[in-house]
Amino acid sequence: MEKRKRATLYMCIPALLIIVFFMAFPLINGISVSFYKWNGYSQTKKFIGFENYITLLTDPVFWRSLANTLLYGFGSTLLQNVFGLLIALYVNSKFRGRNFIRALVYMPIMISGFIMGQILYYFFQYDGGVMNDLLGILSFAPVYWMETGLRAALVITLVNSWQYLGLCMVIYLAGLQNIPMMYIEAARIDGVNRFQEFFKIKLPMLMSSITTAVITNLIGGFKLYEVIVSLSGGGPNRKSLSLSYNIQLLYFNDEKAGYASAVGVALFFMIFIISWPINKYLVSKVEEY
Amino acid sequence: MDIKKKKKKITTPIWRYFIFIALIIVYILPMYVLINMSLREVTDIRSRLYPPIEIKWDNYSEVLNKSFFNSLKNSAFIMVWTVIVEILFGSMAAYGLVRSKSKVAERFASINLGIMMIPGLALLVGTYSLMVRVNLVNSLWGIIFLSAAGGLPATTFMYMNYIKSIPIALDEAAVIDGASVFRTYISIIMPQLKAVTVTRMIMTAIGSWNNYLMPVFLLQKKSKHTIILLIKSAFDSAGSVGNLPQAAATCALGLLPIIILYIFAQRYIIEGQIDSAVK
Repeated sequence: MEKRKRATLYMCIPALLIIVFFMAFPLINGISVSFYKWNGYSQTKKFIGFENYITLLTDPVFWRSLANTLLYGFGSTLLQNVFGLLIALYVNSKFRGRNFIRALVYMPIMISGFIMGQILYYFFQYDGGVMNDLLGILSFAPVYWMETGLRAALVITLVNSWQYLGLCMVIYLAGLQNIPMMYIEAARIDGVNRFQEFFKIKLPMLMSSITTAVITNLIGGFKLYEVIVSLSGGGPNRKSLSLSYNIQLLYFNDEKAGYASAVGVALFFMIFIISWPINKYLVSKVEEY
Repeated sequence: MDIKKKKKKITTPIWRYFIFIALIIVYILPMYVLINMSLREVTDIRSRLYPPIEIKWDNYSEVLNKSFFNSLKNSAFIMVWTVIVEILFGSMAAYGLVRSKSKVAERFASINLGIMMIPGLALLVGTYSLMVRVNLVNSLWGIIFLSAAGGLPATTFMYMNYIKSIPIALDEAAVIDGASVFRTYISIIMPQLKAVTVTRMIMTAIGSWNNYLMPVFLLQKKSKHTIILLIKSAFDSAGSVGNLPQAAATCALGLLPIIILYIFAQRYIIEGQIDSAVK
């Protein structure tokens, strides 16, 4: 029996080999590179200890992209959860065409973030962009959507939230459909109004859905990269970069591989420090029923 | 029952219809604009809200050339092998972890969450320089294994949840019949997991088709481009040469397989998404 148990464990070997070679090695390699001054292609690299991490602290582009990353993470999470829940409540009620709406809202998730950003780039152009055309029809003045870093970052947050709204919708929809009808019926007999029904009964029972939705969106938002590349190109003047995009530019454009690695490590720690406690807290609040 | 239904119909408020139409507009407009752009003459620079003056199907037929089919082939190759590697090795690992009752299995939820937190870009420098060293630049297999490595933890985790719910008596019966571990896994366990496997295959296939990050840096040769990279270069050259309609046509054609898959397998996809998100 002991022998068979070991043989069972051997089933993990192929997966383990792939993960070690294509994930663990790159990770270790990346962390070690972060202690070097290296341009990314030459044969020689110079060990400089923690210097890359010290440079990080005084680099305005780093801080700017850190702030943007926080905006992308928390901003999209907020928008997606509020609107995702509202749409889930809407689609959860019975009416003709609700399956169509559900399928439609979910559809953009199928499309690569890069491609979606590319399509929506033609919406947020100043000249001939669809958004400004729409404003023109309503006789408003056109807007420079990408004029400042903050404005570009807000547009990116909005686009990202719009694209992945369907994810929150289906998570909440699954949660809502798991609530036993008897609780709601009992409450209705007691004469609660709609708001009480939502806040006192449905919301507490959705805690585990909220955990899932918040954590998934938070991590997704912190990793945001593709949509920024095609939507704003990080501009104006590298002011709408996320940390992920910053890493790419540092590596391939500025040829600072060591420094780019250090930013990568910082990004991982940022995600870890924010997501882990939130996950712990939300999991502890999940109500048993 | 009848009274209830009637009551509901009367009280359906007007805002419901308003939301219905608003959602349709917000979610269809980008697709409309893309298709609209793809059917225009190059010289047509009116607002993208108006339909083309004359529909130009040639934009599409001009896109369907050798390089389009070549990238289609590359994308399909990567997709098929990523799915095979990820599903096969992921489910094997899940079976091994669950049935050997290893300690890793108990902690796998946290491990999975931890791995999920590692951003792909944080691995960029480490991955790229490693791929250069082992000569996997411009190799489709490099991409296949990289995406499989990224997806394996989540796939394993999902299979683990399902395998836990299969009674161990089934395995024990197989042992008595003298089946090996692999045999038990492939002919006793996997047939129970057909539905999960289909959803997971679809999810992996879509992820692979849309993969952008590693292909864009690793597949530099034009002959190795995937569909996503072809669309990217079409839009890039649309900026300078100015043939935006053709770029839009490339994009629409490249999205078509995914949209068709979505229309037919929508139920599986949404279920799969809930499965992989809900822990």
